[in-house]
Amino acid sequence: MAAYIVRRLGTVMVIMVAMSMLVFLATHALPSNAASLILGQYSTPETQKALEHKLGFDQPLPVQYWHWASGILHGDMGKSYEMERPVAPILWDAFGRSAILALSAMAMVTILGLTLGVVAAVWRGRWPDHAASVFVYVGISVPEFYWGLVFILVFCSLFHLLPSSGSASLDDGLGAFFSHLVLPVATLTLAFLAHVTRLTRSSMVEALESMYVRVARTRGLPERLVIMRHALRNALVPSITVLAQDFGFLIGGIVAVETVFAYPGLGRMLVAALERQDLPLMQAAILVLTAVFCLANLLADLLYAVANPRIRYGGSID
Amino acid sequence: MSGMPAALHSASLAAEPLLEVRDLTIRYRQGDRRITAVRDVNLSLKPGGALAIVGESGSGKSSVAGAILDFLGPAAEVSGTILFEGENLLGLGATPRRNILGRRIGAVFQDPFTALNPALRIGRQIAEPMVQHLRLPLPEALRRAENALHEMGIERAAEVARAFPHQLSGGMKQRALIAAALACEPPLVILDEPTTALDVTVEAQILRLLSRLRRDKGISLLFISHNLGVVRRLCDDVAVMYASQLVELGNVRRVLERPTHPYSKGLLASRPPLAAAARSNRLAAIAGQMPTSPEPEAGCVFAPRCPFCEPRCTAGAQPLTMVGEYQEVRCWKSEGLAAWPPQPAAAVATPHFHRGDALVNVTRLSKIFGGGAGLPAWRLSLAGGRPRLYRPPRRIPAVNDVTFSISPGEVLGLVGESGCGKSTLGRLLLQLLRQSDGSVEFDGADVARLSSRALAPFRKQAQLVFQNVGSSLNPRLSVGEALSRPLALFNLTSRRDRIQRVEALLDMVRLPAAYRKRFPHQLSGGERQRVAIARALATEPRFIVCDEPVSALDVSVQATIVNLLADLRDQLGLSYLFISHDLAVVAQLSDRIAVMYRGRICEIGTATDVLAPPHHPYTRMLLASAANDEPVVEPIAAGVAAGPQTGCVFAARCPHKIGAICHTTPPPVKALSESHAIACHLDIAPSTAPTPVVVHLDAQRAAI
Amino acid sequence: MVVPLTDLVTDLATDLPIDLAAAPDIHQRRRLPASLVIGGLIVLTLFTAAALAQWIAPYPYDQMHIRDRFAPPGWHYFAGTDEYGRDVFSRLLFGSQLSLALGATATIIAMAIGVPLGLIAGYRRGWVDEVIMRCLDVMLAFPPIMLVLLILAVTPPSLVKTSIAIGVLAVAPIARVTRSVTLDLMSGEFIEAARARGERLSYMLLRELLPNIWPVLMVEASLRVVFAVLLGAVLSFLGFGVQPPAADWGLMISNGRAFVDTAPWISLAPGIAMSITVIGISLVGDGLREVLDPKLGAGR
Repeated sequence: MAAYIVRRLGTVMVIMVAMSMLVFLATHALPSNAASLILGQYSTPETQKALEHKLGFDQPLPVQYWHWASGILHGDMGKSYEMERPVAPILWDAFGRSAILALSAMAMVTILGLTLGVVAAVWRGRWPDHAASVFVYVGISVPEFYWGLVFILVFCSLFHLLPSSGSASLDDGLGAFFSHLVLPVATLTLAFLAHVTRLTRSSMVEALESMYVRVARTRGLPERLVIMRHALRNALVPSITVLAQDFGFLIGGIVAVETVFAYPGLGRMLVAALERQDLPLMQAAILVLTAVFCLANLLADLLYAVANPRIRYGGSID
Repeated sequence: MSGMPAALHSASLAAEPLLEVRDLTIRYRQGDRRITAVRDVNLSLKPGGALAIVGESGSGKSSVAGAILDFLGPAAEVSGTILFEGENLLGLGATPRRNILGRRIGAVFQDPFTALNPALRIGRQIAEPMVQHLRLPLPEALRRAENALHEMGIERAAEVARAFPHQLSGGMKQRALIAAALACEPPLVILDEPTTALDVTVEAQILRLLSRLRRDKGISLLFISHNLGVVRRLCDDVAVMYASQLVELGNVRRVLERPTHPYSKGLLASRPPLAAAARSNRLAAIAGQMPTSPEPEAGCVFAPRCPFCEPRCTAGAQPLTMVGEYQEVRCWKSEGLAAWPPQPAAAVATPHFHRGDALVNVTRLSKIFGGGAGLPAWRLSLAGGRPRLYRPPRRIPAVNDVTFSISPGEVLGLVGESGCGKSTLGRLLLQLLRQSDGSVEFDGADVARLSSRALAPFRKQAQLVFQNVGSSLNPRLSVGEALSRPLALFNLTSRRDRIQRVEALLDMVRLPAAYRKRFPHQLSGGERQRVAIARALATEPRFIVCDEPVSALDVSVQATIVNLLADLRDQLGLSYLFISHDLAVVAQLSDRIAVMYRGRICEIGTATDVLAPPHHPYTRMLLASAANDEPVVEPIAAGVAAGPQTGCVFAARCPHKIGAICHTTPPPVKALSESHAIACHLDIAPSTAPTPVVVHLDAQRAAI
Repeated sequence: MVVPLTDLVTDLATDLPIDLAAAPDIHQRRRLPASLVIGGLIVLTLFTAAALAQWIAPYPYDQMHIRDRFAPPGWHYFAGTDEYGRDVFSRLLFGSQLSLALGATATIIAMAIGVPLGLIAGYRRGWVDEVIMRCLDVMLAFPPIMLVLLILAVTPPSLVKTSIAIGVLAVAPIARVTRSVTLDLMSGEFIEAARARGERLSYMLLRELLPNIWPVLMVEASLRVVFAVLLGAVLSFLGFGVQPPAADWGLMISNGRAFVDTAPWISLAPGIAMSITVIGISLVGDGLREVLDPKLGAGR
């Protein structure tokens, strides 16, 4: 297993480097004139050229990449064009807020999704299963931001229960803090709950219909034990992979949900940066989001290696 | 159709039966239809007895076991009575029934690879029923589990108990499953084909284990199998099932030595004897196939295939009648029936093979897998606290320095257990794999050196037939399309004549021309194999590699395919490399036999040379295991080393080991006669070979 | 009854059944599953509506009725009007053209690239397989939306570009599924039999492997179409997809955001339309899987 971990780490590092190059290249292919943006009304051909030279835009691409990449590794993410402030502090602030959102949603999705999936599998063919399946169908049939709008409509406009935008920090009080979180988290959860439920259901059904479960029954083990210890143990292993995959979608979902709720997280910042072609901010945001995804996948791989005895204890005895 | 409760036992103890099955009928719902898998079966098992239920696929034998164990699933409708220790299992509620299962009835199933939970340790899985039924605390149960493993003959029981299923071999897994079945020391153990998935030597060990357990603990066995030889070793009584009905019941030795029902006769007659056969010899076979929707009300279900059939047989339902003491049979004619008619000998002369004009010439052929190039081959070791990269030593060659030749029209049989490299060897001959060393010559030309253009004629002349009837045909192509493709590829006929040729091919393998339009999923296993053979014949080859072509087929179907291969060999002058783990089948068809173990040929010679008497220690072990007799030699529990081997490959298991020389020096190839060679350090001259073990089987055949 | 979607998960546990000869399989005529029928009807209706939008729609999609702005759903305007007085229902119909076109194009692109890649990776194995898989891994290392945003941020967005971007994104999953099914098939002996005949690579891929892979691909394709439609909506919603005044559903939802208190139908109606579309296609995918799975065995 040690070899497996090392291999995965190696792959992750290679991917991160490749990714950073991709991000850099893509953003530098933008047709915008960054210099004119910054200079605004002071922009003339001469000042533009001077600024470009100052910012190092006239140097060859690999050199620029190197400056940028080494800066990132030192924690310096450049300066936002729009806001004329260093990117790093802004970014980490927004990252913190997004993290709260993402982690809460992930926790909810995991707990609820696994439970619903197992219930649907154990009672397959009966009403809990049908109910779950209707829920799944409807849940995945529209993008997550749509549910966000529906929630806003119901909870904010109609019933005035919750705020429809923004966020509050813990300093503002627990009540305010949570009330701003509820709807975005619920929206994110709903979107991915359906996906996780159906995949858990199918892997659980596969486990329940497997030979070893049927054999366990012939040993007279009670059904509760068979489900919990025999079937579940095996069904959860592929669920880990699914949850990791979903994390990727979650990151995408964050972008849309933060936009709907005007939640000041990293996703919203990225959209704003894209609209305004604010290069440093864009690069940093995409890099950070993708890095988080990579690490989440790595974590999932490691968890999978631990959970799957074939990988953890490879090889044979005799 | 209720029969009398059949109290069958060879001992005369008049004890209360442990298990009694009365009028058991099982139907499966499939959409709107109902298929009757088991019809009015009556059985009885005394405490300490062993009853076998024998039959081919589709006979319903597994369903009987499934009904007792509540294994059948919601689509099954079970009626009748199953009395176990006086209680009707079918009438019990779920919880009481569950308590009886596991506590009083143990079960061992066919496939050890899927019957164990891959995520739980072995010891845990064995201990579970003890915790549940005997209310033992877990540590105590685990301790007992370890003991159980030890009793099963597993030496490193503690290690195995802590292991996961994927870390064990098939034989070990099956032993663990037997240990789990016996965990609560039940009086009855039901085994459904427990050794079918295992090698023949491992099978012999498991059977000895079961015998010992029966002797020592007085366990009763209900043993389901299609293998008559295995059943003979282990059980007292046998029930033969055909198309959902019992057709014969009685003491095992009597039924197997003097079968009464025509089906039993046919089944036993179609088994190839464990001896070399003349080329003109054909196996007795049962024509036709088992009906899928039998109608016993109309008459005897076996009538269409029975050589003794008379109008009375199809006049109405045939009852089960007592004939003699403790014996029942479902045939009114059974008294005084003759033996199953043997197949007439084919009219062929025995050719002489000159070693000089070989068709296939293999010289020092080797193939090594693994140790590949590139990054994935390197391994990381954290041993000793410091990480270092290393390349693991190259694995043992799958095929190691093999030399033989095959003459035109000759059949060379290649026999060995799984993993010995025989399949690899077959693929090397056809250049489906590239050899690592040595050469393969076909018709004088070294095929490895041929350009791809020149390879085409070779491909035309050398074909193959494989084992897996499920996947040897492309599921999306009809039979006609699959057979036309080789014709088109090699331009053997014009487009117009293709259909004619396809029909001719189907005729050659004795399938109706209408099968042209069928798809593989509409064919039975035997039919699919015939199509595979027809496809191989389509290119008009001279040489065919047959890799376990009959291993996945029922015994009666096996006999017809073997006969077909023999006929084709004679009619078309084909040569075969006939690969199998089944020594009897190989002996039936082969002129010469090569015995293979772990990549090396241990012994090669004519069929008579090799089998009567067997010389090489491994050949002797194979023969003894296949004869299902108490082996003369004691096979040592396998402990296969993973690293490269010096010395004899068989040394670790050889009971005739001389000493250190067997481990250090590769054995020399000695020629015992012009046609017979053996690789062994022992001094075995033909006259001093040990007495053969296989006498009784010939006597059996004579009786039938 | 409706069967929940099951995803195509790659095989984890190895199964080694013993293939004893089975009794002859009677070729049964099976009824088409309900999911396929219902889904098929929905999809057919959608396609017809989209194709005939020009003629069915009561109003052109960009025609403004200033006096009837924010009209609630009623007889004149089935789904109400938006902030410019445009008929929402007509815009829905035209929007369906965009969504379906996007879904179909992206999926076709993904399959045209992904299927050959997967086939070759699965058939050849060796270093070709390694290289292809590493490239796919890199692509899969990006959160899906990031990749697309990158592409779209770099150039002015349009329907074509969005289709291509989403299509490229879907190459990796399709290649993976194809490769996994190919690997399953490769262990079948009919492949070896074909090689023993000396068949060429093109024959192996096209005539032996592909016909066995199509069914699984059809199911996967339905998943991809759904994914494309949803992702396209997200992109339009964020402003990176089709541009106004096009009647794209995501765009409509985005426009209607500001008026969700007073005129919720502007945002709700496109959502309902999308929901029906996705449910229809998902049902078809599920139905296909039910029909095809038992006959082939593999397909997980």
